[in-house]
Amino acid sequence: MSLKFGILGLLAEQPLHAYSVKARFEDLLGGSWEVNIGQVSTTLQRLERDRLVEPAAARGERGRLPYRLTEEGRKALDAWLTEPESEPQQLREAIYLKLLLAARVANGDLPSLLARQRRVYLQRLKDLAVLEQKAKSAGRDDLVLLYKGAVLHTEADLKWVDVCAQEIRTGSDRR
Amino acid sequence: MTTLVELTQVTKTYDDGAGGRPALDAVSLAIGSGEFTAIMGPSGSGKSTLLNLVAGLDRPSAGRVTVAGEDLGRLSEARLARFRRSEVGFVFQFFNLLGNLTVLENVLLPAQLHSGRPAQVGARAKELLARLDITGLADRYPARLSGGQQQRVAIARALINRPPLLLADEPTGAVDTHSGEQIMELIEGLNREGQTVLLVTHDAKLATRHAGRVITLIDGRVDDDTRFESSGPVPESLVTVRIPEEQR
Repeated sequence: MSLKFGILGLLAEQPLHAYSVKARFEDLLGGSWEVNIGQVSTTLQRLERDRLVEPAAARGERGRLPYRLTEEGRKALDAWLTEPESEPQQLREAIYLKLLLAARVANGDLPSLLARQRRVYLQRLKDLAVLEQKAKSAGRDDLVLLYKGAVLHTEADLKWVDVCAQEIRTGSDRR
Repeated sequence: MTTLVELTQVTKTYDDGAGGRPALDAVSLAIGSGEFTAIMGPSGSGKSTLLNLVAGLDRPSAGRVTVAGEDLGRLSEARLARFRRSEVGFVFQFFNLLGNLTVLENVLLPAQLHSGRPAQVGARAKELLARLDITGLADRYPARLSGGQQQRVAIARALINRPPLLLADEPTGAVDTHSGEQIMELIEGLNREGQTVLLVTHDAKLATRHAGRVITLIDGRVDDDTRFESSGPVPESLVTVRIPEEQR
């Protein structure tokens, strides 16, 4: 549902047509996300159908139609912005699946998988520090917060790998 | 890169009568001159034991520790004391400054024990206080300083005799996050100027941010030794924000 509210949030600043929405979205997320123009257009049409946005002027250059927020759209955005998110936790990375399979499949070498995964996380922490510094130098404090979030997640991933490795060691000590 | 620190099959067992697992178990590693290496690992993994052996504060039960060409196990107590004054600077988590001495006196203390020439030592102290941005604190007493300031004083004290090796045991463990980052930036800056640094920390973020190499100890053994790649720019696509698609 966030694309819908992402668009509402951008339109709250000023009227935009679909292509500007796409460009602003990509800029907002610091190039960390590439949005599909078709997706944006479809969502804008749905928002118009639901009376959350409306055309701000007649079609302009190349038939582009600028949209603005309606009163109802503003209310929906304000309500969304104050709501905490309670989506189920999503462990999307393939490492979780590998962990489960390596433990079951013969020759699945879990300790060495974990050791290599640990290196990836350490390198990622290093790389995130570079991105954070770059965002800071560019005056993008909002992106700095995004990268700080990514750092904390990576720290958690690193701890998780250590916990797995520790469990495996104590498991084999007991046997 | 010349090797500054070398551990060869180093084992350290503490004589606690329990006959437990050694604190360090046949560890071999080499650290080059100019490197900034972080030692990580859970509590009890042997990090501080390793640091103490390299500092000459303790001797290995087996194996060899060589620092700046000196085989520490072969040195007499007197020569080991001299080694500690000239070859290593040690920064501790809780600063360990002497409360009855001023900042400048604390910084000068190792030089006096090392019988350096007063004029040169004075100039070196001044240079370090300026480098660590604490010139204005020279006449103050440690109790009047913040944790971050005290740690800067401790770093200046560690470097007064121009040791080739700086050892730091959780140097940010007793200061707030912001001061901790400043301390680490200072240490990284010193490393860029050529100072070899060996840091013990449990903080992965600090270790990866500032060190070029992370050695992980688990149960007294080297579990991993990672040198970071720094080739080329980091792509912004390293982080992807997922925007769920509209369902209706």
